[in-house]
Amino acid sequence: MDCMMNRRDFLRVGSKVGGGLVVSICLPAYGKFISSNRFITDIEFNKFISIDTNGEITIMLTKHEMGQGTGTTIPTIIADELDADWSKIRIEQAFYDPKYTWLEMGTTGGSGSIARTWDAVRTAGATTKALLKQAAANKWGVDPIILEVNNSKVTNRVTNRTFGFGELAKEAAKISIPENVVLKKPGGYVYVGKSVKNRITKDVVSGNMRYGIDMDVPGMVYASIERCPIYGGRIKNYDDTEVRKIEGVIDVFPIAIPQKIKDSLHSIIGYVYDGVVIVASSTWIAIKARKRLKVEWDGGENANRSIESLNEDMAALKDSPAFMSMDLGNVGPCFQNTENKILEMEYNTPYQTHAVMEPLNATAHFQDDVCEIWVGIQDPEKTINNVSKALRIPEEKVKIHVLKSGGSFGRRYAADTSIEAAFISKKIGRPVKLTWTREDEIKNDHCQPYLKNYMKAAITPDKSVVAIENQAICTINYAVWSTKWDHYYAFPNIRCYRSKVPTLLQYGAWRSVGEHSAALSKECFIDELAHYLGKDPLDYRLELLSHEVDWGDPKEIPQGAIERMLARKKLLRERQIEVLSYIKADGLWSNETLDGGGKGLAMMCFGDTVCAEIAEVAMEGELGYTVDKITAVVHCGMVINPHFGRGQIEGSIIWALSAVKYGGVEIENGAIQRSNFHDNKVLRMDELPEIEIIFIESDERPSGLGEPGTPPLAPAVLNAIFDACGKRVRKIPVAKEDLIESINSIAL
Amino acid sequence: MGHYSLKINNKIYPVHIEHDTPLLWVLRDKLKLYGTKYGCGIAQCGACTVHVEGIPMRSCSIPIDSIGDKSITTIEGLSKQSNHPIQIAWEEEDVPQCGYCQSGQIMSAAALLERIPNPTDKQIERAMKGNICRCGTYSRIQNAIKSAAKKINGLHDE
Repeated sequence: MDCMMNRRDFLRVGSKVGGGLVVSICLPAYGKFISSNRFITDIEFNKFISIDTNGEITIMLTKHEMGQGTGTTIPTIIADELDADWSKIRIEQAFYDPKYTWLEMGTTGGSGSIARTWDAVRTAGATTKALLKQAAANKWGVDPIILEVNNSKVTNRVTNRTFGFGELAKEAAKISIPENVVLKKPGGYVYVGKSVKNRITKDVVSGNMRYGIDMDVPGMVYASIERCPIYGGRIKNYDDTEVRKIEGVIDVFPIAIPQKIKDSLHSIIGYVYDGVVIVASSTWIAIKARKRLKVEWDGGENANRSIESLNEDMAALKDSPAFMSMDLGNVGPCFQNTENKILEMEYNTPYQTHAVMEPLNATAHFQDDVCEIWVGIQDPEKTINNVSKALRIPEEKVKIHVLKSGGSFGRRYAADTSIEAAFISKKIGRPVKLTWTREDEIKNDHCQPYLKNYMKAAITPDKSVVAIENQAICTINYAVWSTKWDHYYAFPNIRCYRSKVPTLLQYGAWRSVGEHSAALSKECFIDELAHYLGKDPLDYRLELLSHEVDWGDPKEIPQGAIERMLARKKLLRERQIEVLSYIKADGLWSNETLDGGGKGLAMMCFGDTVCAEIAEVAMEGELGYTVDKITAVVHCGMVINPHFGRGQIEGSIIWALSAVKYGGVEIENGAIQRSNFHDNKVLRMDELPEIEIIFIESDERPSGLGEPGTPPLAPAVLNAIFDACGKRVRKIPVAKEDLIESINSIAL
Repeated sequence: MGHYSLKINNKIYPVHIEHDTPLLWVLRDKLKLYGTKYGCGIAQCGACTVHVEGIPMRSCSIPIDSIGDKSITTIEGLSKQSNHPIQIAWEEEDVPQCGYCQSGQIMSAAALLERIPNPTDKQIERAMKGNICRCGTYSRIQNAIKSAAKKINGLHDE
């Protein structure tokens, strides 16, 4: 994004009302990429950084704070370049506004908040500092070269006189943006690289932190929705006679978006289940009243499907024609050669629920043709677009206040709660808070897609893997393994197929998305190959990475993107080698066998971050195995905040381990058979493994940490289980039944 | 509907509400004490933990009718200035990620130290396994509890 470096193009300086400095940040050039047409013309400048005459600095937060910590880390990066006093910095959540949609169109996700704003926010901070410095130089009539800035003060190194930022704000507002500013070099940072405390902690421990679910609008009523348990199902009829008898019930009506409008909404973000809305004087009455509601659903095609039938549908596609997503070298003859040994395995990564800690919710107030929505959400822009289409009102009439949320993990990309709340408020003409119950959140989740992955290798009599073939069968077109640009292990011939079955559940993003599913099959299969070849799993990976994959003619990649993609591949190959070499050199992966247990290794890239994990398991306990220790080695470039960074990797490990132990969903008659934390279990404190995290030291630009710790966990555990008991489990979750055979054989 | 006089955080709150309303929804919808969180509604996650007569309980599963004159403490009333040793330790360890489950975690932890001032790792696990954290802050919670216990008992790191 070279245009970003042209400061005059995207930064502007102005005065605050009542004096003070405002630095605006915007990218008119980038605005052209913003999806909604209305945003292209007349892009106004925002007030990204402002400094009061009393020295108080306000930084607008344009990202959604959902536990990943960017609400603190992005301001830290700015404060560092600005050489500001951290205690004088106030962080204000930006009301969703196209003025702030520079970069990523206002979304928060993909572990990219810091990586994608790194250049822009540093430049904004450094430019603001340059203005203040120049203001001091003007006041003293000296050359700025003799001035130094730290802790919100500009000091004249000759006279030792100082000005606080507040004293300079007025003067600085009159200066035009300098053409060039110098950014700090690694080593020169004050806050970056330090574990600066999370800005939300104080409010959290006092109980004063407010999330979407705590929103309060004067005069609001409360709503709960009985939704169709089947994806794609519709309301046939309902009887609310008994519901209306309950004191406190205000209204009952269906929510069923007409098919024509449904088709115009975003297929993932805009999906809204049919349901019956109960509006009441309290959340409790609305929830309770649902028990007296009688609804008949038309489940449609999915009503006759189950997880077993879906599994059969997927398996049936195995030998059917599929889309070939990659074809390097000449795979055919390798598999036809009867002298070659063919190794073929099937891996399954099922649907996964989110169970975000803060149940889904949204508060809306529709009045005078304007719909205001308060919600913790990852993609306000697409939400506005989908609310506008669903309610048939102009986009300009939808206003979104982005509130903090209690964990998103991909689920809060969806606009469903906003559409529902907006619809209800429009219908009743009052502000309303809609709260999903935990049961709603699980039964009507937008799940991680189901991937069935067949991996096949052709091995010559002298034990060399000459070809790999992969067939990914998924409930959505996004199996990462089948994407041409995500292979790093250099086999001479590689072919990938991809096919899709109609999904049984609504799908959505789930922490680490396709990488999670892809990593399991890729990293377990590599482990199987290593054992078959009699090689150490770590050395074998290094060996495969020591050659570059010959990408042939990259037809699928658009012009101009090839160079960038190849540079990224090079970076990731280097980082993978570095991570594995670190593990080897540090003795983290030794040959010694663990008494009564085993260890397994796996590695995956997410974005530009590489994470390898070593799992240590013991064959004991309720599930037949326990996961005792996880060691993670991570290369993510610079670590902005080590405490947060470790937290993200730790959290990812725990997230993924929940899926290994208890993940997946049972589905009968098209409906999810889980409902709450008793049957949709997640990891609790007494199951916590020991976790050791090592970041490879690096001065390179930061590349994201929210998700990369998730994908390697499941394959590392599965490989460790094999090491411990000789049993290959090629799916998650891993239950006792999956190990029975080996437990028996050990007992014998 | 019934009239109740609830003793919460040393204050009396008169409430007129349905008999079966769980304490959680009285706190949140009626009294706007939003520090206590809704997480599951069936006493499985601990997000709604409050103290009833000093005992940690899941407010989502206590009907208002069963409270009588028992005194209730929520996160807002745990200390005067958010300076309970557990709250201080939480800040020092910088425990929260999203923070949503933390008021429940803090209430469970404070009750644990009240009962066992110097808990072992196993005792901490046993007392805290009813509180789910999806961000995975468990190890930080353990550290915070241990450091608060040390302070309460007058022990300090060498």
